[in-house]
Amino acid sequence: MFQGSLAVIALTAAGLAAQTVDRTKEPHTPPIPGYKLPPVADTRLPNGLGVVLVQDGRFPLVTARLNFQAGTKFDPKDLPGLAEAVAALLTEGTKTRTARQLSEEIDALGGSLSGRTGPDALTVSGSALAENLTRLLELMADVSMNATFPRDEVDLYKQNRIQNLQQQRSQPSFLASQKFSEVVFGGSPYAHIAPTEEAVGKLDLKVLAGFRDTHLVPNQATLILVGKLPAREELMKMLVQQFGSWQQKPIPAAPQTEPPAPRRQIVLVDRPGSVQADIHVGRLAPIRTGPEYFPLMVGNTILGGGGNSRMFKNIREKEGFAYDAHSTYNTQRDAAVFEAVTEVRNEVVEPALKAVLAELDQMASEPVAASELSNIKNYVSGLYLLRLETQEGVATQLNNMNTLGLPKDYLETYTTRVRSVEPDQVLAVAKKYMAPGQAAIVVVGDASKIGEALKKFGDVTIAKAN
Amino acid sequence: MQPKNLMKKLLAIHFLLFCAFLARSADVSIPIEKYKLKNGLRVILSKDNAVPVVTVYIIYDVGARSEEKGRTGFAHLFEHMMFQGSANAPKGTHDAAVESNGGTLNGSTHPDYTDYFEILPSNKLATALWLESDRMRSLAINEENLKNQKEAVKQERRLSFDNQPYATAIVDVWPTLMFRNWQNSHSLIGSFEDLNASTVDDVARFFKSHYAPDNAALVIVGDIQIPDARKLIETYFGDIEAQPLPKRPDLAEPAGFEAHTQVYKDPLARGPALIVGYPGPKRRSQDYYALHMIDAILTGGDSSRFRMNLVKGKQSVIQYEAELGWPFASALDYRDPEPYAMFLLYNPKFTADQVVAQVQDEIAKLQTAPLDAKELERVKTLVRAGVVRDLQGSLSRARALAQYELADGNAALINTELDAALSVTAGQIQAAAKKYLTPDRRAVLQIVPAPKPQASPDANNPDEKKPAEKKEGR
Repeated sequence: MFQGSLAVIALTAAGLAAQTVDRTKEPHTPPIPGYKLPPVADTRLPNGLGVVLVQDGRFPLVTARLNFQAGTKFDPKDLPGLAEAVAALLTEGTKTRTARQLSEEIDALGGSLSGRTGPDALTVSGSALAENLTRLLELMADVSMNATFPRDEVDLYKQNRIQNLQQQRSQPSFLASQKFSEVVFGGSPYAHIAPTEEAVGKLDLKVLAGFRDTHLVPNQATLILVGKLPAREELMKMLVQQFGSWQQKPIPAAPQTEPPAPRRQIVLVDRPGSVQADIHVGRLAPIRTGPEYFPLMVGNTILGGGGNSRMFKNIREKEGFAYDAHSTYNTQRDAAVFEAVTEVRNEVVEPALKAVLAELDQMASEPVAASELSNIKNYVSGLYLLRLETQEGVATQLNNMNTLGLPKDYLETYTTRVRSVEPDQVLAVAKKYMAPGQAAIVVVGDASKIGEALKKFGDVTIAKAN
Repeated sequence: MQPKNLMKKLLAIHFLLFCAFLARSADVSIPIEKYKLKNGLRVILSKDNAVPVVTVYIIYDVGARSEEKGRTGFAHLFEHMMFQGSANAPKGTHDAAVESNGGTLNGSTHPDYTDYFEILPSNKLATALWLESDRMRSLAINEENLKNQKEAVKQERRLSFDNQPYATAIVDVWPTLMFRNWQNSHSLIGSFEDLNASTVDDVARFFKSHYAPDNAALVIVGDIQIPDARKLIETYFGDIEAQPLPKRPDLAEPAGFEAHTQVYKDPLARGPALIVGYPGPKRRSQDYYALHMIDAILTGGDSSRFRMNLVKGKQSVIQYEAELGWPFASALDYRDPEPYAMFLLYNPKFTADQVVAQVQDEIAKLQTAPLDAKELERVKTLVRAGVVRDLQGSLSRARALAQYELADGNAALINTELDAALSVTAGQIQAAAKKYLTPDRRAVLQIVPAPKPQASPDANNPDEKKPAEKKEGR
């Protein structure tokens, strides 16, 4: 026995002894592990409500999304902020529950319940401890069908939204995003990213309930459930019980206003006292369902996605112009935008903007090296895996697919499509969408400090910060 | 008929038991394998093979509170240096190796610790260990890297603090109200003067004493096999030399905290705001759990007292955030001394004094009568669900394990700490409210929008005194 123990210790020691290793080289590792998503079940209730189910029993939780094609692009022209107000106020009172009751009931489920809008969709998000799923569904159905928009809650919402709007406008990054969006989208319903004080002031029961009755209908909605779910039959019974009585309605057409053709313009939003300049350079780009999406998404990541990107390495690390230098390719259902963004101190506005334009030119004139491309493909594929760790992560992916109208095999084929992108495809889309010739340049900063520097790049239109 | 009813009854009993069990715990058990290398490096492994992802997380037992006078911001500057390359992984290699393998990484500096992590597809465990061990062993400390990172830190300060409303008040002013020991009240991000004065020698000294294996813990969570992971850890970290442990700074606050109020004019703020704080109890003391529950009662969830009574009822508060250890810590990484503090953005129709009085009234309600059982049950459910939710991701699981190991010497608290938090009684809540949250031990910072944003943005902010900040890496 004694001997036996010794043997075990000796074995362990041998097993743990440091192996000689060549530290000068990155270790050899096995290939990226395969991962099959948990099965996604897709069905529909008789009233047209789409149902997407993913069983994930690792933690005793459920995560839900109820997705409506009812985002801010459906705001009437004179009421920017209507959709967002409807979303926020759904949980502030129903025919049978006061706002306080709703709050207390959802907290008692160990959950959350809230409505949010993006440009395309309005989403009611909910979560709860798994044992409380029935009551979560009951609350989600109640707020989606029976919201009453009580007067005092509406008034409070208006007052706080106006305050919050003033607060947002004190942030240079918000001012920059807002102006950039106006410049690129022109008269398109995607142009506004926030309401106006005037429009918020006009909100009342009539317009809120009107939007709800027109847009929150089951036959264009999808319910996504991820988590520790009951057996299918029992769950479907629950869903019919909670959502079955909801009546179908005709679906309103999405507003169609084409954004203006991209053109070079320089707009400076004057923010006196600013110690830095927020610079955005970009233009319209193709939407997610087209063949150019994957090449441009990969190209955008090469240019400005993360710490291994060209903008990060050159503009932040090498030149030290900025703490932040990145690019984004943001797709909505019917339009998309590519932009390069950096925030720099006033003194280096000119060289920093030059450096950003040079990076864009470079992307549009030279094919990316095979090794750089393969690195970025691994990065994008790995990030995809990382996003699927939590229930929230899986639910968010499925919700985005619904919002953007992506094919059902999108997640399944994602990695393959990323890996199939070739250097000439990246170059082709970079020539079309990254080359800065037709790009708008929007800068937020102190005009008295950076105006002269900007004029060196062309005519500058000065706008006021609201 | 009969059997059916019986079945129903049995089901009902089963359901009750199930609930009773859940009410007491997270219903999740995190496996932990813990050991120490010969050089003193603490290792914690937690296996979860559900998704092929692994988090490698290293926590060093040093933060801004270890800084010396004349070297404010040094811990954060050093954190930046950790991304500037090492003997076998020259500058750029770290980012490239992690990102090109599909991972993500960062580091962050806190008052009492500094952390670094990589989240990667699980086949790349060795890559993360190679990178972390190489910089622990052989960081590239030189003039060029230091100069470059001084600039990056300054720009981070301009971007994230000097140009943001409320940030200067929170980062530079608030800690001087809450703390009187310089170690606690000075700036985490530091002054430009101190950053400029830092030398390569300073960096080298700091590295040698604070970034030694015996001053750190390595936590790995996710898709691993324990024997393979142990072997790799021994290979990469086993022969890094231990160092004498650095002397711990004295963080004790002088006795006799006195209530006070200060006004700060913020040229970038559009609306008025308040910070209110009270010196807090010792970590993991009975009062700490009680205050954690008080925070949940006041500010947690949709039905919190602040939301129901101040945001909706009186309509005086617009937004709020509060936490044990606010603004630089949370209940999880709370170390002594820390406050219970809150930030409130409020409606300018009210005065700062009125809003402070309303906050104190909400606290007074907890002091005068014990909490109603239904509300306590609701708040506990909320706290329980929050903990379970946080256990989902491998990074947040690693963070929790690292905190319990470093602060308490016991990573296994991840499986029992929730029980301690949920065992708080209404009586304990009332007692803690009375003991800690009284006006005579309250600090208040009123943040007033300055009328003319044209004024020099530095007018408020003459030169030095720039206390602590939170996070932000690289």
